[in-house]
Amino acid sequence: MHPEKQTHAFEPKIIAFVCTWCTYAGADLAGTSRMQYPSNVRVLKFPCTGRIDPVFILKAFQQGADGVLVSGCHPGDCHYIAGNFHARRRFAVFRKLLEFIGVDLNRLQFSWVSAAEGGKWVEVVTDLTERVRAMGPMTEFKELAMEEQWSGAINTPELQEAYNSI
Amino acid sequence: MTPIDTSIYAAITDAIQTEAGRILSEGQVTAVVGYAAARRKGSAQPIVISNPDDAQKLIFTAACVNNLAVYLTKAKKEIPKTGKIGIVVKGCDLKALSGLMGESQLKREDLYLIGVPCAGVLGSTVQPATELTTGTIAAKCTECDAHLPTGCDFVPNQTPITPELEQKYAVEIARLEALTPAERWAYWQEQFSKCIKCYACRQVCPFCFCEQCLCDRNKPQMVETTPRPAGNTAWHIVRAMHLAGRCAGCAECERVCPMDIPLNLLNRKMAKELKELYDHEASFEVLDKGPLTMFTDKDDQSFIK
Amino acid sequence: MQKYINQQNLNTLLDTLITQGIRVVAPRMNAGTPLYEPIAGANEMITDQLPRRSAKEAFFPVCEDIMTYEKEGQKVTVTDIDPARFPETLLFGVRPCDAAAIPVLDAVFSWDYKDEFFLERRRKTTIVGLACTAADDACFCTAVGLSPSDTKGSDLFLTPLEGGGYACESFSDKGEALIANNKELFTEPNNSKSLPLAEPHTEKFDLKKVKAWLDEHFEDPLWDGVAVRCVGCGACAFVCPACHCFDIVDEGTEKAGKRRKNWDACGFWKFTHHASGHNPRDGQPKRYRNRIMHKFKYYDDKFGQTLCTGCGRCVRVCPVGIDIAGIVEEISKK
Repeated sequence: MHPEKQTHAFEPKIIAFVCTWCTYAGADLAGTSRMQYPSNVRVLKFPCTGRIDPVFILKAFQQGADGVLVSGCHPGDCHYIAGNFHARRRFAVFRKLLEFIGVDLNRLQFSWVSAAEGGKWVEVVTDLTERVRAMGPMTEFKELAMEEQWSGAINTPELQEAYNSI
Repeated sequence: MTPIDTSIYAAITDAIQTEAGRILSEGQVTAVVGYAAARRKGSAQPIVISNPDDAQKLIFTAACVNNLAVYLTKAKKEIPKTGKIGIVVKGCDLKALSGLMGESQLKREDLYLIGVPCAGVLGSTVQPATELTTGTIAAKCTECDAHLPTGCDFVPNQTPITPELEQKYAVEIARLEALTPAERWAYWQEQFSKCIKCYACRQVCPFCFCEQCLCDRNKPQMVETTPRPAGNTAWHIVRAMHLAGRCAGCAECERVCPMDIPLNLLNRKMAKELKELYDHEASFEVLDKGPLTMFTDKDDQSFIK
Repeated sequence: MQKYINQQNLNTLLDTLITQGIRVVAPRMNAGTPLYEPIAGANEMITDQLPRRSAKEAFFPVCEDIMTYEKEGQKVTVTDIDPARFPETLLFGVRPCDAAAIPVLDAVFSWDYKDEFFLERRRKTTIVGLACTAADDACFCTAVGLSPSDTKGSDLFLTPLEGGGYACESFSDKGEALIANNKELFTEPNNSKSLPLAEPHTEKFDLKKVKAWLDEHFEDPLWDGVAVRCVGCGACAFVCPACHCFDIVDEGTEKAGKRRKNWDACGFWKFTHHASGHNPRDGQPKRYRNRIMHKFKYYDDKFGQTLCTGCGRCVRVCPVGIDIAGIVEEISKK
């Protein structure tokens, strides 16, 4: 029996950057084991967490993600020996930078999920989705994308209407 | 505002002139990169000399703000890199050279280092004739631990008098850290909105030596190249990240910003985190690997599920 | 037409225009930096500091959309920007060095191609100049034939007077209209003396002689001498009231996006970088030479004007202390 599908007012968009050897296989296992997890997550597969450039996370937020997950092999299990060790340092620093810029780190999750941990994948994705759902949409980067330097701004009927309604 | 004693700079100027003249005429170096006076009263600008007679043009004053290490990188093709090159360095500049050596961009044996005992330089040279005081000194100098460069080929025998100053970045970082994420976001958006993408911050940075910057690429375009708030924010995040663990703290990015964006705050924040996380600090020591190109199996992973 | 306006009436004038929906752009502080920006009220305005960027962006924005596209299935929609939507603007408190650059730019933006983006903004903007009372040692407007009280480019020109208020003089229909539409705020001119104006301490350049030298010295050791230190940023061009080069980029996704025009600078190595990988200006001295040549020779050849108003901004912001006034002075003495 599938649990009844709940409907929510806000469905967050979650982007997951995962390594192909562990977490992707783990997510696959969750699927083949018919475990349920939120369909909010969009999975992007990389060779290794070491390949996941911090700028990808930035780009995900800019393109409308409400939450981002980065997941790969447990330390010591990297297919390329040390890719995840490098990633661990890089992300430890990058999250501090985002925090300093003013991004709420509750929207960004890192995890180690092995090929055998279908259950952990479900747990990580569900936790992040529900947490981000409670926080509401990530508006900062979207609003930013709409903004113009004053000199390039033009009067649009929509803007005028918005202005008039204030 | 109390004046800061820069009386030793006159003797340092003499010593630099003599030394530069000597190494050029003895043929020890092919060129010397240093500072020279410019048209406006009190101003200084970088100069490259190859004739011993030009050594008398060299000066050192509180307006000698530039980090000359930038001219030795592969990005600055105008400065010939043939033979041994002499360079005038303050402590902060020497840290940058050490970083470049660690990244295999320079070889120590190709350099003749003329170190400068430094009491501090001006924060802004918009009005170069300004006197050096506790108010006009560069913010980086308030936190300086490198007044006396070591490991150089020549350092004038002078000792700078360096008063204890309020650490400007530490204070400002603490203030920002105490804010909520939304308040910090608002603070940085106000600052980044002024950015016009002149890339002065990148061009003066000794560590921005890439042949082509990621942020100049348009296929794929990872960062909006236009100077709009979105692209500006992305650029400054990427810049800070690419310098994390590499930045030597010369604060040139912040000094040259025509829009007064406090860019070195981001670099200082990153340096603080790297110190706490991996006990890394920019120094005169040449490291084989920077903190983000190495790892240990005990690195903190409390943030990873 | 000559009139007088006191400070209070001037504030009333600006506030009234703002409430009428006119965009008033004036010097104001933004996060500690003086910039020409739209103000919400006359109280935001500052008049004692030269804004860090010039007033050119009121006509030639840092970045603007010139076209948008959308793709749905096989259907592609391309929409032009309607210049009618550019806001009516009063550009207030413009320094003579900034105002003078605007008519200079008219020449290039209405030459073989009429740039509607620039020209429509120009039509919709009234420029109120303000005489300059403070110069520093980077200023050199007098050296290029202007002055702290030069009215070139201004529709209405204000001169601060001893005892407060401003003498106003109009130089165009737009300036006349501004006075006529608000005549209760202006009074007849009085005999107050003007406040002491700025005195930049630079000798007048012989621009003819400079151009004659440039005509003959495309190749010269001078260029290496002055620009070997150039680090290749765009600060000088971006703060300049007269530099007007731009780049056009497409940004967006496959589904929707925009074509944008933004400032470009001849100091960037990418400025002349060809798709083939070849770069005809393969070093900073050649790029800097182009900056000087464009300002004092090419623009003169083409339009009979000099592309420099002596505001001194590039001198102040150059990371490595390159000093255009010093260089032109050196050339003029050759």
